[in-house]
Amino acid sequence: MNLFAPDHLLYSSLGFYLAAAIAAIIFYKHPRFCTLFAQSGCILASLLGTFSAIRLLHSGKELVLEPFYSTIPNLSISMTIDALSAFFILLLSILTFCVSIYSIGYISHYHGKRNVSVFHFLYATFILSMIFVFTADNAVFFFMAWELMAVISYFLVVFESEQEETRQAGLIYIVMTHLGTAFLMIAFMLMFYYTKSFDLYGSSESIPEKARNLMFVFFLIGFATKAGVIPLHIWLPYAHPAAPGNISALMSGIMIKTAVYGLLRFVLLYLGIETPWWGIVILIIGMCSALIGVLYAFIEQNIKKLLAYSSIENMGIIFIGMGISFLAFSKGSGWVGALALTASLLHCFNHTLFKGGLFLGVGSIHYATHTKNMEELGGLIKKMPVTAVFFLGSALSISAIVPFNGFIGEWLTYQSIFASITSGNAALNMTYIIAVAVLAMSGALAAACFIKLFGISFLGLPRSEHASHAKEVPLLMNIGTGILVSLCLIFGLFPLIPIKLLDHVILSATGHTVAGQLQGGFLTAFYPLDISGIGNTISPLLIFVLVALLIGLALMVLRLVGGVYQERKYGTWDCGFRSLNSRMQYSGTAFSKPIKIVFKIFFKSSRDLRMQGDSPYHPEEMEYTITTESVFEKYVYVPLLIWATELSKKLKFMIQTGSVHTYLLYIFVAVLVLMLYNRIG
Amino acid sequence: MIAILSSIVQFLVILLLAPLVGGVIKKIKAFSQKRKGAPVLQNYYDLLKLVRKESVVSETSSWIYKATPYIMFSTAAAAALLVPVTTLLPAEPFFGDIILLFYLLALGRFFMCLSALDTGSTFGGMGSSREAMISSLIEPSILVSVFTIGLISGSTSIYQMMYSMRTIGNPLFHPVFILTFLAMLIITLAETSRIPVDDPATHLELTMVHEAMLLEYSGRHLALMEYGAAIKQLILITLIVNLFLPMDQLIPFSGAGAVLLGIIFYVIKVAFVAIIIAIAEVSTVKFRFFSIPNLAALSFILSFLGFLQYFVLGR
Repeated sequence: MNLFAPDHLLYSSLGFYLAAAIAAIIFYKHPRFCTLFAQSGCILASLLGTFSAIRLLHSGKELVLEPFYSTIPNLSISMTIDALSAFFILLLSILTFCVSIYSIGYISHYHGKRNVSVFHFLYATFILSMIFVFTADNAVFFFMAWELMAVISYFLVVFESEQEETRQAGLIYIVMTHLGTAFLMIAFMLMFYYTKSFDLYGSSESIPEKARNLMFVFFLIGFATKAGVIPLHIWLPYAHPAAPGNISALMSGIMIKTAVYGLLRFVLLYLGIETPWWGIVILIIGMCSALIGVLYAFIEQNIKKLLAYSSIENMGIIFIGMGISFLAFSKGSGWVGALALTASLLHCFNHTLFKGGLFLGVGSIHYATHTKNMEELGGLIKKMPVTAVFFLGSALSISAIVPFNGFIGEWLTYQSIFASITSGNAALNMTYIIAVAVLAMSGALAAACFIKLFGISFLGLPRSEHASHAKEVPLLMNIGTGILVSLCLIFGLFPLIPIKLLDHVILSATGHTVAGQLQGGFLTAFYPLDISGIGNTISPLLIFVLVALLIGLALMVLRLVGGVYQERKYGTWDCGFRSLNSRMQYSGTAFSKPIKIVFKIFFKSSRDLRMQGDSPYHPEEMEYTITTESVFEKYVYVPLLIWATELSKKLKFMIQTGSVHTYLLYIFVAVLVLMLYNRIG
Repeated sequence: MIAILSSIVQFLVILLLAPLVGGVIKKIKAFSQKRKGAPVLQNYYDLLKLVRKESVVSETSSWIYKATPYIMFSTAAAAALLVPVTTLLPAEPFFGDIILLFYLLALGRFFMCLSALDTGSTFGGMGSSREAMISSLIEPSILVSVFTIGLISGSTSIYQMMYSMRTIGNPLFHPVFILTFLAMLIITLAETSRIPVDDPATHLELTMVHEAMLLEYSGRHLALMEYGAAIKQLILITLIVNLFLPMDQLIPFSGAGAVLLGIIFYVIKVAFVAIIIAIAEVSTVKFRFFSIPNLAALSFILSFLGFLQYFVLGR
């Protein structure tokens, strides 16, 4: 018996998550032990999960597990782990590993204030539910796991439920997620109606053309709600900031990726791509999310909301890659589709790493300063040097700056668009080039956004008491963040590692191998990425070495020409007033003002200036408030809500009269109709 | 080995030539204003002098502030290694991807914007915020222009792009290249902080962008920042001249003489673009800050039309 076989590893991983959940309940009286046992259980479990997923991805084998069998149809827990599932389990396990290490330190500030045992129980079961989502092989089990994930994450979002905002956020989240679930349910029903089976790995041949299109639309709405892409994004900027830091990292890092998994599993693998408009729809949704998401992120002053909007942007980039690959598949160019799918999944992987790192970093800021408002921060780089370095690393990575992994995903997306543009279909080429422009702009705006986030929170002078009394966070928290950031750098320098892990996923989904063709070029040892079909190559490691060498060269030349470095410490230039203070610094609001003015159509911002004093030229007191509206909420969701409320108010007297007799009549009529239907049918 | 040597030669050409471009532009501007102006080599003297001076470092600043000049310089210099001066010299196949080039320059910009916020000065924040806006508005037009030329030459490798532009004949007779050329010219003006986007001659004024970010720097830090900016400017000009004004195909012979002639041609072409920039600077004024989006939009539309002309309407 091989103890290290992937199935044993996975079984024990599941076992440890369960044990962690149980341990959390047993030790509810001792918060310290509770945290330690529950999180160590999760760390061990995620380690086992990582190994099992890597082994599965290497061998490319499919694994079928059935831990619980029942004779009632569709109720057994049956799991099939193919390459795609293994890939997402890998993402989940790596993130869980780091977040759990982080949580041991982070949760300690809840000790004594709150029942942490509930938290740990929910944490472990949340991860379990996501594993079930990724591995379920029949639609009923998938649906149950999906709902379990939604409900548990709701409880985690409202963990700090004494705040009104949090409860509100939880409400929006649960409503939106169930809206998505409703659509999924209809799609599953259609699936069963036509194929007489809930098997996800079965054939979808018996589904007619029209029903396929309908199912695609329902799957898209259902999963896009979870992904938080525009226009179904409204829950995301509320739910992520409300949840505790480590939960936001899990939600943004992996939970919204279940949507990507779902779309690939149900649309690409189950239904199969036949019409080009599916790809175009996904591409357009992706473009809107990427651009509008990052614009909203840029003007945000709440650091967690900023990251939430940035998640919308990154889901947009993932959707762009997916849309291009679906389009390519529908036109029969498999290799281009495989390349775009690689880009999309690689960006998924990267986003898990750097967004996880960023949310953990923001959790650390909140832990140290008790504020999420950027305008109260500043100068943290001196108080929290380690957190600052890790945060900078993740920020560079999400801005797609060269030696980090974010760039690789974006470069591959560009290359897949490059490969897709063939002279011939004019309309499609135009869409592709607009996608290029959108990617470019959202990339640059993302960089601006993280310059703002890092620059305002970590640099300059502290803007409040909170920030000036901040202290470095516990070591374990930094270790958790640090692992994620180092992975960002490693996968940026050696991009072929994640691409090779992805190879079996792509191969089984598309029949093309991309990794083989990406490897090549002149110095294989330097791991250049080479798209052999086109001849485009990059070598991030070489660039990294070059930049390092050039820094050395600059230091040497400066020493030779200019002599020993002399430095004088002096105050910042203050135009001679000698009283520069932290309020004279540029604020986050001011930083994003130019973009806000240029793109004012998306913000509908309004300002209110109140001055007190005798003369308008010498006001004694000034009050300046600036408000921005979320255009989607105001013009789409609020009218919809009002309409729904009005409608139900009207219907109240027509259908739901409150009289038992009427209800009995309904039942009678329903039975009658069913009997009639059966007679005829 | 020859390829490595040849990229070092081209790297040195760009590094040595970079401060001269600014000097030439300044001289032409002075000439148009009936001034004598500073010597053409003034930028070299300035750099040399700055290197020898002590650096004043703000008390508020952190390691970001001190690391930035080195990152700024070395990313620009590394980018210089990616750009061929002449296509007559061989190049490493995996060396110069054009998307990589722009993202590498973005690394320098990222740190420059951070360093401006690091000192806690209002000027720095102002410059950083404006630079963030300008760069994100100009980015789509950069990528669309680059894609158009890349698609026509079938590669995003800079060397391949330049090489295939040689065979096209005179690119400035094709509508697609005229449009992309104009777009690239606007991009160069915006990326190198020149009039009409930003005025390199202003110092300590409320309109400055690039200068506002460098305001706190002094001594060798300032020298590195200025030198890095000069290299970046020459890289963009090199892209323009070698893509749109290829002259290497005119050289009938090969060997060391041809390479030398290629480099001489290159210097002449750079001087030509420097003159265009100088003329643009004397004949226009700096735009109001919120007119820059219009300029960026113009550049985007030019590049987009170029793409449409070639890939949608057909050649």
